[in-house]
Amino acid sequence: MLQRLYNLLLLFREYVVLSVLLLVSLTLLALNDNPQMKRIRGITAVVFGVVQERLAVFPRYIGLRRENDELRRINIELADEVNQLREARLENIRLRQLLGLKESSPYGLVAAKVIGKNLTLLRNTITLNVGTRDSVVDGMPVVGDGGLVGVISHASEQYSIVRVLLNTDFRASAKVQRSRVDGIIAWDGRSLLLTNITKTLDVRPGDVVITSEYSTTYPPNIRIGVVNDVQEQTGLLFKKVSVTPGVDFVKLEEVFVMKYRPDPERRVLEQQATQRPRR
Amino acid sequence: MEYYLRSSFVALGLLILQTTFVPFLSIQGYVPDLLLIWVVYFAIRRGQLEATVAGFSAGLLQDLVTTQFLGLAAFSKTIAGFAAGYFYNENNTEQTLSSYRFVLVVLLCSVLHNVIYFAIFLQGGEGSLVTGLLESTVATSIYTVALGVLPMFAFARKHGFASLS
Repeated sequence: MLQRLYNLLLLFREYVVLSVLLLVSLTLLALNDNPQMKRIRGITAVVFGVVQERLAVFPRYIGLRRENDELRRINIELADEVNQLREARLENIRLRQLLGLKESSPYGLVAAKVIGKNLTLLRNTITLNVGTRDSVVDGMPVVGDGGLVGVISHASEQYSIVRVLLNTDFRASAKVQRSRVDGIIAWDGRSLLLTNITKTLDVRPGDVVITSEYSTTYPPNIRIGVVNDVQEQTGLLFKKVSVTPGVDFVKLEEVFVMKYRPDPERRVLEQQATQRPRR
Repeated sequence: MEYYLRSSFVALGLLILQTTFVPFLSIQGYVPDLLLIWVVYFAIRRGQLEATVAGFSAGLLQDLVTTQFLGLAAFSKTIAGFAAGYFYNENNTEQTLSSYRFVLVVLLCSVLHNVIYFAIFLQGGEGSLVTGLLESTVATSIYTVALGVLPMFAFARKHGFASLS
């Protein structure tokens, strides 16, 4: 191969030498910075520009596939970045709302992240990344930016389980904010209901339902949800009041555990009153 | 080796003459190109390859001495040397040098050299480039050819005058 190349160079040595020497001369010419060279550079640029423009169609087609792949890769990267930014923006909004909640709450709050959800059962729960190490104990209420989430049912050192509103074991004293009508909020497996509302009481769709002062587990005036439907039930004394929870459990990601403990004296007194034998 | 050394000295001597004495012979600013005559002579004596190198070397020396336009004389004389090499014939060297054929080769190479040289040198100047190029090429070529006749006569006297054919 090298021998063939050498023979070829030898055969065309005059042209090879001419090319080399012309190249050296042109390089020396290019080193000049006089008006002539400036003019020649200008002409060269125009000529090359025109030629390149004419020839540009070929590399475009040749490099089209590679360019396409590159653009696709960039597109994926940018889409990923946009997603991350969107996620960060949404998280920012949620955290701002939570921050507002934290500032307005008179109780101590422990910020927690939802790390697990069981929302397809009758007894739905969520798992939080806080536990007794963070001073979280059983019975503490849990709130989100939309209102009441549930109550801590089990707490380990690092994690805790929340019995959410959408749990058949969940009960809370509640009241309609507008008309001050009291009831019990409970989940029947299909919808959240405000129970014990007699037909004569004033409850309308759109009314906001909040926790009541009668509750020993939850502090009063925590938003639970909004009444979405009121049905008169024939043959029964009570209305069927459906409530849409303020919290979207599907999207729930960050919550606060309220360091709220019911007054033990009140609890003991109420328990004694209910256990006292009738005369 | 001795031949190359001698040729180099001749080229140097011609370069000194070109830059010192020849400007006194200028007519309307045009001067003959002694180095080009030497390159043509060298091409007819030694062939294309060596003439190309000789053209480049002589041109580069000229550029370095005149410091006018580095690379321009080297570029044009390389091409002139290469072109002159086409007239090399091992068996007819003396005949070529002592005939009008030599003058003709000098004329052709001179025109080629001057067209290239002035096409670059006159760029960006005032006035028409074509007119300037034509004027400079014709004047310089004729003047160079006129001087190229002298070595031809010297060879003809030494080896006998040969016809064009």
